[in-house]
Amino acid sequence: MRGSHRLALFFLFPSLIFVGVFTLYPIFESFRLSFYRTILTLPWLGQKMVGWENYADLWTDPVAVQSLKTTIIFVAVTIPLELLLGLGMALVMNEVFRGRGLLRAVVLVPWAIPTVVSSQMWRFIFNDRYGLFNVVLFGADTARYTAPLAEPGPALMAIMAAEVWKTTPFAGLIILAGLQTIPDELYESASIDGAGAWQKFRHVTLPLIRPALLLALLFRSIDALRVFDLVFVMTQGGPADATNVLQFYGYKKTFAEGMIGYGSAVAVGVFFISLALSLTYLRLLRESRLEGATR
Amino acid sequence: MADFEKRNPGVRIIQEVGPHSSTQFHDLVSQKLKNRDTEMDVFVMDVVWPAEFASAGWALPLDRYFPEAEQSKFLAAPLLANRYRGRVYGVPLFVDAGLLYYRKDLLAKYNFAPPRSWPELVDQAKTILAGEMDPLLSGFSAQFKQYEGLICNMMEYILGNGGALWDDARLVSALQQPPAVEAVRFVRDKIIGEIAARGVLAYQEPESLALFTQGKAVFHRNWPYAWRSANDPERSKIAGKVAMATLPSFPGHRGVATLGGWQMGVSRFSKKPDLAWRFVDFMTSPEMQKRIALATGRPPTRMALYDDPELLQKIPQLPSLLENFKRAVPRPTTPVYVPLSNIMQRYFSSALALPDTNIAERAALAARDMDRVLDLLRGAPAP
Repeated sequence: MRGSHRLALFFLFPSLIFVGVFTLYPIFESFRLSFYRTILTLPWLGQKMVGWENYADLWTDPVAVQSLKTTIIFVAVTIPLELLLGLGMALVMNEVFRGRGLLRAVVLVPWAIPTVVSSQMWRFIFNDRYGLFNVVLFGADTARYTAPLAEPGPALMAIMAAEVWKTTPFAGLIILAGLQTIPDELYESASIDGAGAWQKFRHVTLPLIRPALLLALLFRSIDALRVFDLVFVMTQGGPADATNVLQFYGYKKTFAEGMIGYGSAVAVGVFFISLALSLTYLRLLRESRLEGATR
Repeated sequence: MADFEKRNPGVRIIQEVGPHSSTQFHDLVSQKLKNRDTEMDVFVMDVVWPAEFASAGWALPLDRYFPEAEQSKFLAAPLLANRYRGRVYGVPLFVDAGLLYYRKDLLAKYNFAPPRSWPELVDQAKTILAGEMDPLLSGFSAQFKQYEGLICNMMEYILGNGGALWDDARLVSALQQPPAVEAVRFVRDKIIGEIAARGVLAYQEPESLALFTQGKAVFHRNWPYAWRSANDPERSKIAGKVAMATLPSFPGHRGVATLGGWQMGVSRFSKKPDLAWRFVDFMTSPEMQKRIALATGRPPTRMALYDDPELLQKIPQLPSLLENFKRAVPRPTTPVYVPLSNIMQRYFSSALALPDTNIAERAALAARDMDRVLDLLRGAPAP
């Protein structure tokens, strides 16, 4: 027993090193840097240990607080939409019909396109003069054409729309996997008991795909918290900072302004928010599994 | 480059192509310099980088190779942008400055001369829009998205009203001063949503130029490169109907163009700085500057070339470009340019995109943030 344990450790070793070098080290390094004031372009200031000062500044920095709010709105709006639409998508893809294989492949296209490319596409869609958005909405009535990316509220909505379009298939796929684990017998016996379509969905499907839903929620929330590329390509955080999400703010601080310490503090903040979210979801997930097991 | 290799046997130039966006290119080059990369000997810098690269100790001072007598052969404004605390860190390779493009056919139709002041431009645009009755025609197109180009555009209004972005000698912001606030208010109330569609708040250079070349804008602010695109019959519906002028100002003030352009610098981590300099010297030599200008239409950085008959024949707009370069002003040179720029972008974009904001109040907030950044420069050691 002990021998096989040691062997297992031995086999795990390469991946542990990999995780250590590429995951743990950067995390610890970000932590360390976040306690210093380092400004690359002002080397004479040196690397000064400032303790929690960067975090205190972060708390009182209106731009950081604003970008935290924007990020939370982004997550809170996109995730329910993605799960709802993904659920619908999964239910359709789970039915047996001709061309199902093709549909399943097609649905994945938005997810498969690199985000940088699709963001560029959405930027064109929302262009005020030749964008598809206006053509679909107003047709030839050019006087009513709007410029979504030029207005603070609509710009955020435009980015959220692009995010939902892009990641709903992913949520759909995970939910579909959950749907496929439900044995047909359950539906059959439900029918015998006289359950209608809605009751079957409500009392059979929904409880059984709960783990899949939670998993989709977990993956999508962490991803949405770190949204960056859509903003980078479509708006650069504007107009009026309306789409300045946390991760983009941290990027600008670290890589453009050379404020290494402060930027690291932003990154560590994002890290802890995702960690807290993940732990909550994982706990819910475990509970729902246990429930399933005891039932 | 092949020529340089021929003249310097044993030397091979390896060219590395960077991203098109200046901001992303900055991230790439500064990353290499941060890591003290010895493989990169020579780099190009956007006009706002030399101070930062000098202060960070990344760019080699070039005074030894590039004496005053030689410096004076270049256009003054780009050279100024390469100086930081009394030393020179780059040699101008390309030069850019903001220009006003306009539809000469439309202005002639309404008997207008090119506008000398911004209010005059607004009035002319309104008359032409009212007369043409084309709902898709815009009076003006320029770059007002929240990005570096917003600074270039807004600086032209603010300096053209006798204001400044900040006072580099006293290290304090000037955004909250009346001339700057008035200029911003003018752009918000008289240009955006009035003679320019609100869509310009999401425009960078390509979108704003497209609007103009599609014949859907009367006036257009852009860099010298737009001349070629606007007059290319294959890409432009207004080829031959375009003219350019220096940018307007506010009454009683001098018009100002924001200086742009690229410089060549030598890395402090280069193992062969002498050879690196020879390459910089070669690329910015009169001969190469002329060849680049002939091949690409990019205006040269050496003054003497503006009298070159062959160039004048090929690029007939050279004299007006020269006049514009002479009034071009670089953004103040400072190692904390990027943080300052981000604060200003935030302020300008909020002031323009939110119609109800109290501009003076927002300007004061932005000025306070800028002062905090500028404070970092106090007590900087002498070079």
